[in-house]
Amino acid sequence: MSDILLLIGRSLRNALRQPATIIPNIAISVFFLFVYNGGLNSVAKLPGFQGSYLGFILPVSIVSAAVGGAGLAGQTLIKDIDNGYFTKLLLTPTRRLAVIWGPMIASAIILTAQVVLVMFIALLMGLKVAAGPGGFVLVVVLAFFWGMAFAGYAAFMALKTKNAAAAQAATFAFFPLIFLSYTFVPKQYVTTGWLKVAATINPTTYVFDAMRSLLNTGWDASSLGIGFAVTLGFATLTGAMALWAARGATKLAS
Amino acid sequence: MAEHDGEDRTITAEGLRRTFGAVPAVDGVDLHIPGGRIFGFLGPNGAGKSTLVKILTTILDPTAGKATVAGYDVQRQGGKVREAIGVALQDVGLDPLMTARELLVLQSQLFGKSGEEARQKAERLLVTVGLDDVDPKKRAGAYSGGMKRRLDLALALVNDPRILFLDEPTTGLDPASRVGIWEEVRRLNEELGMTIFLTTQYLEEADRLADEIAIIDKGKIVARGTPDELKREVGDEVVELQFAQCEEAAQAYDALAGIAPNRQASGHDVRLYFGRAAENVPELVRALDGAGIRLQGLTIEQPSLDDVFLRVTGQALEHEVDGAGDATAGPPAPDGLASGEPARDAALAAANEEVTP
Repeated sequence: MSDILLLIGRSLRNALRQPATIIPNIAISVFFLFVYNGGLNSVAKLPGFQGSYLGFILPVSIVSAAVGGAGLAGQTLIKDIDNGYFTKLLLTPTRRLAVIWGPMIASAIILTAQVVLVMFIALLMGLKVAAGPGGFVLVVVLAFFWGMAFAGYAAFMALKTKNAAAAQAATFAFFPLIFLSYTFVPKQYVTTGWLKVAATINPTTYVFDAMRSLLNTGWDASSLGIGFAVTLGFATLTGAMALWAARGATKLAS
Repeated sequence: MAEHDGEDRTITAEGLRRTFGAVPAVDGVDLHIPGGRIFGFLGPNGAGKSTLVKILTTILDPTAGKATVAGYDVQRQGGKVREAIGVALQDVGLDPLMTARELLVLQSQLFGKSGEEARQKAERLLVTVGLDDVDPKKRAGAYSGGMKRRLDLALALVNDPRILFLDEPTTGLDPASRVGIWEEVRRLNEELGMTIFLTTQYLEEADRLADEIAIIDKGKIVARGTPDELKREVGDEVVELQFAQCEEAAQAYDALAGIAPNRQASGHDVRLYFGRAAENVPELVRALDGAGIRLQGLTIEQPSLDDVFLRVTGQALEHEVDGAGDATAGPPAPDGLASGEPARDAALAAANEEVTP
């Protein structure tokens, strides 16, 4: 069995043994979904709004779950470093990539499970996915890679700071990105200039767009292409940063 | 470099050096350890023992020099080195959320064993280290210090290593656990022909286990040989004089210069080295009487590694401790146990940070 699969399995098993590390994040995602949908759904009555407000706000719940859940990968690495198990793993022939990416992928898998749960709750609340079951699956896939991107960032910060609190705080620094976008109302209703600029340069905007197109308007190759390109690019960047941090920190001969 | 035919069990180093900032933690170490030996590396905290182990086990790159382990270059063939060695570092490396079996099975699988092979290996190793009767659901985080160290040793053995590195394997253990580890180390060496590279700050441990000893001080090897060879270098017999006051010991040290040129003072004691001690005792007593120094006790004994250590480093090494059951609570450090150089200690502390990301 591949070393990376073994280490993903180990991280998943450990996460399930500490449900307190997962449950708050799920609760916050569901809370966002209920509160924003309940409080702001009249936005859907504005002229020109396409689809349901539930379909519009669900990506906010998903992306915030990714930011909150990403910390798990960083926390796992920091605990391993603190208790010496990280070094024990480095003393095996295991690839360094597996040692770093194992917790990252496990973190993204847990996030994906959360997203599926939140989406089923949304279905129970009346969500109709415009792109059908395939669209549902693509939203989940997009969420997985967005989770990988944040997990890579969390792992990078963990390896750089070697401090649990600092690594967690660093992931929360990304929360403003959720709100510096067309978070609660569609683009055409935003008139504030600086927010438009922020939303344009904010990669989160393109993830929202891709998910919203699948949920509310159907298949849109342009939104999906940009959304996936941004997500995969971000995930590749942070994954490489995490590996680079591991290489620099361990001084391990290849 | 030794040829590697899959059975190479040697360790070599040439001019190995590692600095942290301007401070050399390992300073020009040369080694040639033949296969199948127990090699003891003795030194106080901060002497460079752990840094050397980290270089030889591929965790840390040297600043200069080269080293081979099992015939493989530690810098260029790190993966091959790691396949051939087992390592139990000074700080145990366990995931507290996993059980002993889970840790052993995972570690075996990471070394390429199948699931079934790994499970069988785990059971055998639990018996080997005496943890087979522990509740299988008990997680490593709930183990005592001694149990954690035994489990850590088992993890170092999952790949049937040709060379085993043990970095202070009994520090902080109670005497019974310590003897258990010694017996296991001896068995691994005798039955499996494993080369054991053992660092320790306990003289008794080095004396009882090692075929050959190197003493390291401030990053340099200052003495090397079998325990008997090293002891013979300081003399055949030792007369230890005990005094009530340190000042009296210091006065005696000066007063006995003509009778015992080879001597050392440490605290309340003065140790004098002779070919045949008994012949010199009457003259010693008369000299002390004449100088008005009151002797409290006198014993004649064989030289110990402590004498060797004191002679080559100018400081006493840690003595055996009794009843230290907590793995995290090491013995108190007497004067002279640390390197005695604040800059060096600070740099070595930083080194630990750097190695363990």
